[in-house]
Amino acid sequence: MVTGMLSLFTAVILLTLRPELLATYHYNQYVIATTHLFVLGWICTIVMGAMYQLVPVALETKLYSERLAAWQFLFHLVGFAGMVWMFWTWNMKQVGHFGSLLTFGVGLFVYNIARTLLRVPRWNVIATSVACALGWLSLAVCAGLTIAIGKCTYETADTLAPGSLLGAILHGLKSVATFTARFDQIAAMHAHAHLGALGVFVMLIIGISYKLVPMFTLSEIQSPRRALASVALLNAGLLGSFVTILLRHPFRFAFALIIAAGLACYGVEMLAILRARKRRALDWGLISFLTAISLLAPLSVLALILSWPGLALTTLTGRLENLYGFLALAGVISFAIIGMFYKIIPFLVWYGSYSTHIGLGKVPSLADLYSRGLQALGYWAYVAGLAVTATAILLGHAVTVKCGCALLGLSLATLGSNVAKILSHLLRPKLQPLDLRPVLQGDL
Amino acid sequence: MQTTQLDEPLILETLRQVVDPEIDCNIVDLGLIYAIRIDGGKVIVQMTLTTQGCPMHESIAWGVKNALRNLEAVEEANVEIVWDPPWHPAMMTEEGRARVGVRS
Repeated sequence: MVTGMLSLFTAVILLTLRPELLATYHYNQYVIATTHLFVLGWICTIVMGAMYQLVPVALETKLYSERLAAWQFLFHLVGFAGMVWMFWTWNMKQVGHFGSLLTFGVGLFVYNIARTLLRVPRWNVIATSVACALGWLSLAVCAGLTIAIGKCTYETADTLAPGSLLGAILHGLKSVATFTARFDQIAAMHAHAHLGALGVFVMLIIGISYKLVPMFTLSEIQSPRRALASVALLNAGLLGSFVTILLRHPFRFAFALIIAAGLACYGVEMLAILRARKRRALDWGLISFLTAISLLAPLSVLALILSWPGLALTTLTGRLENLYGFLALAGVISFAIIGMFYKIIPFLVWYGSYSTHIGLGKVPSLADLYSRGLQALGYWAYVAGLAVTATAILLGHAVTVKCGCALLGLSLATLGSNVAKILSHLLRPKLQPLDLRPVLQGDL
Repeated sequence: MQTTQLDEPLILETLRQVVDPEIDCNIVDLGLIYAIRIDGGKVIVQMTLTTQGCPMHESIAWGVKNALRNLEAVEEANVEIVWDPPWHPAMMTEEGRARVGVRS
């Protein structure tokens, strides 16, 4: 959590100080470095940590190995930090080396979660979406590594015999680089980004929300078939989208439509779950999450526009691409994570500080661990920040991007403050004695 | 501590001290208590939880035992967690529904 939040704060501060990163076309080393800080440092770190907690809870089983999780975190930390630094300095060879460390960590993660899934007593749409996300994650990191290999040169390979180990590796990498040179580099980057953003993060948001939203609102899945259809359409659309984006094929519009249909199924099912809920009031954590997933609608429209066959690359198209990436990462994925932060972090702290005191003392509820006023302020600042930044990206106006990012920064400050409040309960739990007088005096 | 005779209303009132921290409602008004058996100083509570697989279930079960041990007449307290019938908001009391904002 600390690593994730530090990465997020760093990324937002960077965007506030360098607003031109969002106001200009996204294919430069600084944007790519910042994107990977955001995606790997913030989103991936938090999602992986959350998966270790949520997958066992959502699927009613135990995590396969805590030790593997600890090792994975180490590889992830060194891997992503090195990658971001090397992207910034555009040393692609070192991007590949650090990327390999990250990939090894991802391998540990996939193995751990896959073994956990094998223990699931009842297979359902949540397990299906988690399994699919693992597959897409593996493909996404392989694609990223392949792109990095393609950007390196291999002069040393010619001086080494193919029979030696190092020679074999370098010749192999050179062959991969030759293969990747056939593809448009920007198209490859876009295809890689979709594998990660859609295949991993949106897939997990959908799957886990089918468990958590009914749980928190006292509702249930209304149509298991519709829920499964949303996951199936997303998978089918993404498979086709990956290939057609990579090849810049006109059929990418058709696959974007399939993805949009999958997201529409998800939206309809979520609305049905909310309509059937027994708990009327929604807390700010859930409101943040639901606001985030509602942004999938404009995001889908943008995706359809950008995948229109024969769309010319103009300044406006470039800005729409920036907007698309920003809305996906900051709008949908990050906002959804922040919403769930307020559900999961208080629970973890409460569990650590108060779970053994129930019945012995008056323990606070989860909502007592933080300030709801700050949370509400944070919500509105985030929404305003998204709106201002999105407008600024469309207009290509760096100063307004700065203002939007400052608002996002304000929102994150409230989040940081609340996280500090929550964590203070770990250091100084606030217990009060039980009042048993009515019971003991017989006043029932 | 006064010695009070053990009966179901006393046990239920004691268990009102045990609160589900996520929903912020006690387990009695949530409708989680299915049955109480009293055998002298031994009390057995049969109960469920709102979500199967939630890691809170062990702490809530411990909380029930801790709360019952506050009663001097209780010599032994046991908790049986069951999942059948599954919990439903309709099992909540009127007070519970009002507190949580649950619609009928």
